[in-house]
Amino acid sequence: MISRSVSITRRLVVAVLILEILAALALIVAITLHERHIQLKAFDATLIGSAESLMGAVQDAEDEGDNVLLDLRGVHINNGSVYKVVDERGRVLGSAGEFAQLPPSISDSPGFHDVKISRRHYRFFVLHGLRIIDPGNSKGGVRHNISIVYGMRVGRVWHEVIEAIRFFAIATTLLLAVTAIFMVLSIRKSLSPIHELAHETDQIGDHNWHFIAPASAEETVELRPLARALEAALTRVQLSFGQQKRFTRDAAHELKTDVAIVKSSLQLLSMRKRTADEYSAGLALSLEDFTRLESTVEKLLNLARLEQSHDAGRLSAAQHSCSLKYAVEEAIQQSKPLAQLKMIEVTANIEGEASVSLEARDSLLLCSNILVNALQHSQEQGRVCVTVAALNESAVLTVQDWGEGISEEDRPHLFDPFYRGDVSRSRKSGGTGLGLSICKAICDRAGGTIEISNHPAGGAVVVVTLPLAI
Amino acid sequence: MRVLLVEDEQRLAANIMAAFREVGLVVDHASDGNTGSHLADQGIYDVIVLDLMLPGKSGQRVLHDLRQRSIHSPVLILTALDGKESIIQLLNDGADDYLSKPFDLGELLARVKALIRRGKGASTSVLTMSDVVLDTVHQTVTRKGEAIELSPTEYRILEYLIHRPLAVVSKREMLEHLYDFSWEHHSNVIEVHISNLRRKLNVPGAEPLIETLRHRGYRLTSSDPA
Repeated sequence: MISRSVSITRRLVVAVLILEILAALALIVAITLHERHIQLKAFDATLIGSAESLMGAVQDAEDEGDNVLLDLRGVHINNGSVYKVVDERGRVLGSAGEFAQLPPSISDSPGFHDVKISRRHYRFFVLHGLRIIDPGNSKGGVRHNISIVYGMRVGRVWHEVIEAIRFFAIATTLLLAVTAIFMVLSIRKSLSPIHELAHETDQIGDHNWHFIAPASAEETVELRPLARALEAALTRVQLSFGQQKRFTRDAAHELKTDVAIVKSSLQLLSMRKRTADEYSAGLALSLEDFTRLESTVEKLLNLARLEQSHDAGRLSAAQHSCSLKYAVEEAIQQSKPLAQLKMIEVTANIEGEASVSLEARDSLLLCSNILVNALQHSQEQGRVCVTVAALNESAVLTVQDWGEGISEEDRPHLFDPFYRGDVSRSRKSGGTGLGLSICKAICDRAGGTIEISNHPAGGAVVVVTLPLAI
Repeated sequence: MRVLLVEDEQRLAANIMAAFREVGLVVDHASDGNTGSHLADQGIYDVIVLDLMLPGKSGQRVLHDLRQRSIHSPVLILTALDGKESIIQLLNDGADDYLSKPFDLGELLARVKALIRRGKGASTSVLTMSDVVLDTVHQTVTRKGEAIELSPTEYRILEYLIHRPLAVVSKREMLEHLYDFSWEHHSNVIEVHISNLRRKLNVPGAEPLIETLRHRGYRLTSSDPA
């Protein structure tokens, strides 16, 4: 069930675009402020320039009273400008625009003034200047104090600023579109190794556990850990799957062989009429065969029980406790017939009770499996030595024999189910090859260890270490 | 007829050998692959019954080596393994038949007999040679419709000869196929049995059947024009 699907591509593109838009907005604000500043400066310069042009346009009127007039020839006046040129006597030399609403006071102070006229913003520049006409006369010319008020609508400045912003906005939009397209393409391309990896992973099935990450995934730094982890995980799965398969196959082989023996014994007996003695001998043999089948089944079930739900087993094992001393003594007792048959001397050296966290039947199974194994691999008239000792919170069980020992070749497989070593240890020696696997499972369950090695005196020594029960 | 049984499981091998002997087959037994391979290399077996999981050398390997050395004895595989692939592989590698464990002893005997028959070129369990009819299932012999009582060894010799009509069969060959190795030095037992066979098959009005070729062996002759 997919509750919510998330697209990395979409996320990345959206994130980058939002960042770009934010950057563009910040830029636009900065540009607006800057442009406004520039444009205002230019505006003020225009006001000053225009006012000074008007001052220059104040000319000698060439009349009796040595008056001045405004000669606007060759003077450029901006559209919509408002101005007024007044001389010292209050005579208006020239004007344009509505002055009615202009506060009269502003003409007294030179400089810039912002005024609102009929709800429109205007900026004025007031210039007071001295105009000397007829400078050649005796008095050194006639002086006129000219006052010029020149204004323009401020709206013009904003018009320029908005033009600049519009240009910038269009450029930014184009840039965003190009970025988005480029990003989608580039992200798609960089994500293609994921698709290849997914495709390769999809090929894995019941019959094909083989997995090699595609080269593209191996080459992508971000994907390499995933590809490696997949490979490693699948290798482990494949391995344990293989083990499971091998176990099932071997178990089937074992059971079928034992069933085949029972069946053939009975069929042989029924091939023709036989004497009573023949029948009873045949039945005794058949019963023996059947006991063997029973023992194989029991071993398989034991192993299955011990290996099933490993963790749950540990918990339940922790709840039990039993005496290893008792288990060893019982195992020696049970294997007495085999020991006597081969005339093997079994010596035991047991210190204390050695209470371990195991079910009684499992600790007996463990001890008797190891002991029988040692007896089977001992020469006739040999000896087997069993010791139990407590060491650092652990019980240590040692079973030593003076048999042929273990070969380096067998060592890694000793605990594999159904492993029987070389020719001499084929089925005829009686083992199913499950004994040591069962021992290992019991030790694992109790949180202990089991190890087999050769000792210098010649022969094998099995060392079992189990934590002592609290 | 001589059968080689290669099987490591002692009890099963004992049962199979006993059953084979009950029906008059001579059995040799090998309990590992290498011994099996060596015995089979003699090329004297009319059938080889081969287990797959063997110590030393696997059954597959034994079969492969056998065919590699041009030993053409029919091979019946005994397997406790499932899986059609391995069976197909084995049949392609030169096995002639297979039986899964646990098998029926009667079925094993029937299949072994069928393989012997096929190996000799016969297609049914009833063999005829001119007026002699030999039923390999019931192990009975008649001549001109008249039942003839034969000892197990005499029956085996006659069966072997009928399987190879008109061919000269040496005493050595008969010993190889019809006796356990321990009997090999009694080569004159063949002569005794042949003479007994001749006497028993000599019903009134019948032609002599077994011809002796000096220093070479014996041959069944057919009086029929066919």
